[in-house]
Amino acid sequence: MTGTVRHPPQRRSATAPLELAELLRVEPLASADAVHVPDPGRLVHQVVLAETFERLGRTGPHALVVLHAEAATGGWSLAAGLHATWERNAAAVVVPRPAMSASSVILAQRLGIALLVIDADPVDTSLALAGQVSAPQAARALRVALCAERLADQTSIRGVLGVLNAELAPAPVALIVGRSVTAGRAAALQERPEHRQVRIEVNGAGGRPWAELVARVPGTTAAAAGHVESLLGLARLPLLAAWAQARLQTSTQAVQERAAFQLLRRLAGDPDSDALPRSRVEPHDVAAPSWASDLGWRVEGTNRAVWIGSAHGAETEPAPELTELVRSAWQRERPDWPIIADADGWVSWQNISADALGSDDPGDDIDDDDTGGADTDGATAMRRVISAVGKVARRHGLVLGIGGAHAGIPGLMRSVEQARLAAHVARDGGPGTVQWFDGVGARATLAWLPRGQIAAVAELSLPDLVAARDRVSLVDTVLTVLDCGGSLSQASTRLGVHRNTVLARVARAKELGLVVDDPNRRLAMHVLCYALATLWKAP
Amino acid sequence: MTSRYVGAVSSVTADDVPALVEGAKFYSPAVGDAGWISMVSWTTELLRRNGPVVLVRPDAVAPQTRAVGLCAIGSGAALADLPPAGDEFALAVREVEHLTRRRAGVVYPLAAATVSALVPLVAAAQLEVPLLDADGMGRTFALIHHTSMHLAGLPIGPLVARGATGESIALSVHAAARADTLLRGGVDSLGGWAALAAYPCTAGQLRTAALPGTVSRLINVGRLLLESGDTEVLIGRLAAVAGCRRIGRGRIVELEHLSRPSDVTIPAHPSSVVIDEVGGHGRLMRLELRSEIVAVFADGALAAAAPDLICLIDVLRGELATLDSLEPGALVDVLVMPADAVWYSAEGLAMVGPASHGIPLDHPRRR
Repeated sequence: MTGTVRHPPQRRSATAPLELAELLRVEPLASADAVHVPDPGRLVHQVVLAETFERLGRTGPHALVVLHAEAATGGWSLAAGLHATWERNAAAVVVPRPAMSASSVILAQRLGIALLVIDADPVDTSLALAGQVSAPQAARALRVALCAERLADQTSIRGVLGVLNAELAPAPVALIVGRSVTAGRAAALQERPEHRQVRIEVNGAGGRPWAELVARVPGTTAAAAGHVESLLGLARLPLLAAWAQARLQTSTQAVQERAAFQLLRRLAGDPDSDALPRSRVEPHDVAAPSWASDLGWRVEGTNRAVWIGSAHGAETEPAPELTELVRSAWQRERPDWPIIADADGWVSWQNISADALGSDDPGDDIDDDDTGGADTDGATAMRRVISAVGKVARRHGLVLGIGGAHAGIPGLMRSVEQARLAAHVARDGGPGTVQWFDGVGARATLAWLPRGQIAAVAELSLPDLVAARDRVSLVDTVLTVLDCGGSLSQASTRLGVHRNTVLARVARAKELGLVVDDPNRRLAMHVLCYALATLWKAP
Repeated sequence: MTSRYVGAVSSVTADDVPALVEGAKFYSPAVGDAGWISMVSWTTELLRRNGPVVLVRPDAVAPQTRAVGLCAIGSGAALADLPPAGDEFALAVREVEHLTRRRAGVVYPLAAATVSALVPLVAAAQLEVPLLDADGMGRTFALIHHTSMHLAGLPIGPLVARGATGESIALSVHAAARADTLLRGGVDSLGGWAALAAYPCTAGQLRTAALPGTVSRLINVGRLLLESGDTEVLIGRLAAVAGCRRIGRGRIVELEHLSRPSDVTIPAHPSSVVIDEVGGHGRLMRLELRSEIVAVFADGALAAAAPDLICLIDVLRGELATLDSLEPGALVDVLVMPADAVWYSAEGLAMVGPASHGIPLDHPRRR
């Protein structure tokens, strides 16, 4: 960034010449057909009404030439007029429609001269233009007023950014929440030589900064930078209104986001969202749909998903009240991360924006947490969030699973699956447990065990054991012995009891039907013990 | 090169007629030859029967010798519909002789191009007088006072237009420009075309007032055109004989009709041809058409304009492309040939320069 403009706005000279782009925003040129405009930033110093070629020959540089009468008879005259104005470095040529021909467009492109076609009378047009060029400030004020009208019509964030981008073209404008681009053109953030960024803060409720509007303005048009700033300032209120309106309808939004996420999942080529666990789909390029940014979702680049699930392993959909609680808790911490109810939990994701990844190809999967410094940044941000929401998770009996960082929408879906798996594993640790998929490993295999059903089987096949009062310690002990490969001494060390106690418990368990020394039944017993132990451990 | 270049052709025989016709077409590239095929065979037959016509330069005859200019005026299509009766050319000269009370010792072409190049040849054969190797235009212009004789101050009249109907119009005017206006209605009534005999004067006056060597040039150029099928060779030879140069080669991308407002002084509708240059600078060339190609703009800059003679060569066929045969996609060479020097004088340009075709720009040769 070569220069950052902040409040109060820089004063610019009232007589700074208008740019071609500025003239194109207001009548009479707003209704002109801009056939070819190679450089909208061209300054217009004067307006010339050229009736003859002799007059054309006396045109100075940076003039806006309106062809008329003999000089606009069509055919050759426009070609000759374009050549003459090109020789004299004119800013643009305005021609009445009858004199226009298809080949003139090609010639204008060849010569790189702006060509505008009007339906109005050229004399009236040039008079109006001359008035505007001689009083640039008035033309700018008119343009700001027109822009304010258009902004007031917008009801969505996207709409507001659309108006700004159309109005300030070619300068790109983006809305940044946190560090990610929520709407507009991300090009506004890229630094370019001879360009400067204009930034305007947008304050949310309570005067706290909510977002920032950023425009990248060509440095040559420094006079217009202040103008850009006033337009961005005008957009603040419509933006806040659109944002607030969206927040008001949270329940509708929750349903809408849920449906949208399902749609996103289908886009990624994974139509069957209930097949568990899902087979990995081959990642391929899926363009982010426009409605994703409408919802404030950022899916381009690399994403890392978080799955929030119940610690008790409820297989049913969570209650809507719980969804509201999770949503509000989540949005307090990270308002820019989405939170969507999905199947038996909630999903959110962190968009590690493409520029934070440096030169990494966004198409590459990044599986390992510790490969690059930039990726570690993403993980650090994630850890901060996790520690902040950990208390809430404990209070509501929730566990968190965190997936790997993957590129694109298919990568996001993959990360969601990983996070969900990690969350299932996290249930072993009780409420508030956070499990990173990278740390799960083979244990993930056990995450999907239908523990409730196994327990029901145990009730039928081992009624004595299930009825026993000391069943928890018995099952724990047998599980530990099996975990330790039958070594009683290792098991006693892990359990913190005497070896003889272990031996006694194993003997009692055997009496109740939990036979561990039969090779035919050992795997079944091991799985049974694992299921019962994790099930009974939960409060 | 097998063709015999003749500095001054001494006589025109029946065998020279095909070359003369090709040359006449070359110097009037806009006009199709549909109208005068019968005229060509008749002329050939006439020369075969009456023998060759003697071709002399103006300075090779006695200065007091009376001369009458001849051409065909009106429309080529009308000539095709209503073929000549055969006697209109000779009788037009006779009527001028009657009006001036002087016997013509030589005839000469008013414009050595199109069918008007054949007309004086026919008259010379019938009247058994020599044909002067000179003309008044060096090509064709739209109006009959666009001549070097007019620029030199010679009177256009008395003049006689004689039609195939056997009727004739004799005119005597004070201002040469009026002659065309007065004749136009009459020629329509005569069947759309007429033989015109005008500019009666002496050979001595024509030594300075006419453009010498233009008839023999037609035959020489025609021989080249008949001989060569290769465009490069053809253009090289034409450059040597006629001084032409190629502005560029390109593909026709667009034909625009009625591309600019028309006035009434010169007939024919204005239209444009857009050519995308192949190779070179890749320029966009724009040809402005009237009854001929009146201007060439290269990227909007005037590259050539009337009175330059601008013609298109069909590269694939190696022959002239007439304006009614143009179609998008054709690959053409744009050739420019300078007209005679007299046309680049201030008076000449005012009469036949780009401004006379509604293009008020300085001629590229005058800038």
